[in-house]
Amino acid sequence: MSDRPTNVLIVGVGGQGVILVSKVLTEVCQARGLAVKQSEVHGMAKRGGAVFSHVRFGREIWSPTIAQGEADVLLALEWAEGLRWLGHLSRAGTLIADTRRIVPLAACLDRSWGAQPAYPRRSPEDLLAGIANGFAIDATGIAMDLGNARVANTVVLGALSAVLGQPAEDWQPVLARNVPPKTVEVNHAAFARGRAWIESRPEPRPAASPPARQPVGATAPMNGVRLVITESWCKGCDICVKMCPERCLALNGAQVVELSDAGACTGCRVCEWLCPDFAITVDRGGQEPRA
Amino acid sequence: MLDGRPFDILDYLRRDLMPHFLCPGCGHGIALRALLWAVHETGIAKDRLAVISGIGCAGRLAAYIDANTFHVPHGRALPFATGLKIARPDLAVVVLTGDGDCLAIGGNHLIHACRRNLDLTCVMLNNEVYGMTGGQVSPTTGAGRLTTTTPQGNREPAFDACGLAEAAGAGLVGRELTLHPPTLKNVIKEGLAHPGFSFIEVMSDCTEIFGRKNEMGSSGEMILSQASAMRPTSYGSRGATAPFHPNAFPTGVLARNERPEYGAHLRAASASDDGHD
Repeated sequence: MSDRPTNVLIVGVGGQGVILVSKVLTEVCQARGLAVKQSEVHGMAKRGGAVFSHVRFGREIWSPTIAQGEADVLLALEWAEGLRWLGHLSRAGTLIADTRRIVPLAACLDRSWGAQPAYPRRSPEDLLAGIANGFAIDATGIAMDLGNARVANTVVLGALSAVLGQPAEDWQPVLARNVPPKTVEVNHAAFARGRAWIESRPEPRPAASPPARQPVGATAPMNGVRLVITESWCKGCDICVKMCPERCLALNGAQVVELSDAGACTGCRVCEWLCPDFAITVDRGGQEPRA
Repeated sequence: MLDGRPFDILDYLRRDLMPHFLCPGCGHGIALRALLWAVHETGIAKDRLAVISGIGCAGRLAAYIDANTFHVPHGRALPFATGLKIARPDLAVVVLTGDGDCLAIGGNHLIHACRRNLDLTCVMLNNEVYGMTGGQVSPTTGAGRLTTTTPQGNREPAFDACGLAEAAGAGLVGRELTLHPPTLKNVIKEGLAHPGFSFIEVMSDCTEIFGRKNEMGSSGEMILSQASAMRPTSYGSRGATAPFHPNAFPTGVLARNERPEYGAHLRAASASDDGHD
């Protein structure tokens, strides 16, 4: 294992067993002699509220929490919670999400006839298309197939063990120790099903290239000068519009700056200097004017 | 300068964190560009640059710089920077701080940092208000200004931060407007080059929290008004010790104070102490 810690973020709603999953993972890592830190929030869990647990393990762990974009594995026991935490997944990270939906109370406030719950409508296919390694598993369906819907978390745990590439033998005794004695058997079965589900998948696609953050709104060249506007960074403050000595900038309908009079632009750089959001770059094609 | 390339701010930003969190029209972004521009022209490599910031809108800026950055407790950026510079004299240490962070919560630390004259560059972004916490009055809020804690107008006199720094013994004291980015860049460059404590006050604009409450117009109008309200050109020849007049600030490098640099002094003293132990 490299020196870099492995970050696993486990999310779900109250009662699904997020804490149990993180406890098993923590104990497995401890048994392997790794340093582990775990941190959770489960305050509103009993009201069906969001629960999340950060588990970090490796040779040495300093901070117990996972920053945005740094989770190597995002384990979602509930679909919308997975979507909510997607920003924490790293670009090369793996998402394992149960496709089963638990619609929160707040999303069903509109009780008129035929009203749709305010639940994210993004389909698993659409979601997985944008993720390097994504698995949408119907863990609750598998668990119901085994006769106990409550072992859905163990199905996902089995999937996690396969993704982490660790032998099942390391996990089974820890799992048996942590679940109620009467459910050991069904939990073992669920674990095996989750593991087999991942192993039966085709090899994951190579990581998708990160989304381009290069400036997009390039405008037509004029006098060898090109104004490059990063539209997504512009906050529409109007400083450049007011300060442009040639009056050649304007805010468009979306309150984003655009070059309204390309012929007037002299490339003086006042907009570039004064843009607090670094949204404008003046490209003079390497030709700097006399100082 | 990176391989002699012209300055491109994207080289110096943590681009995955962009766009930054500042409100539309906030002058802090302009000041951040000027700082990075000055760093580029001074030729400080990113690995050799350490930016330390406290709490507040200005305090958050360090996080966007792709260098060694530290976000430390409120008002404690200067003590942290002092320790870092003494331990690692090879680093160029810059402190990014706000008017509240630097003059109120960390006011004492500023005085003593000026007194020691350690080779730090302290860039204080003065927007006359505590923006992040909702617009409370700050030590530099101008007379009569409305804030959430001065609904009848501010009755306290404002601090002249540059006068304070000069009196406390800072090696170099400068002030510039965000309206003039190239000049601002040059003043920060002077600060980076100065072998001692340099204090640079940047007159920034808080458009959303302060400007809105005081009906100072749009971001563009607010930054334009710096030219007339602060009248830098007409007061440019006056020293920092001239009678302080709010909204009529002298700008440029206001004072130079050639005093021994604390770090070198400390190292020399400890080297000579070694023989006696």
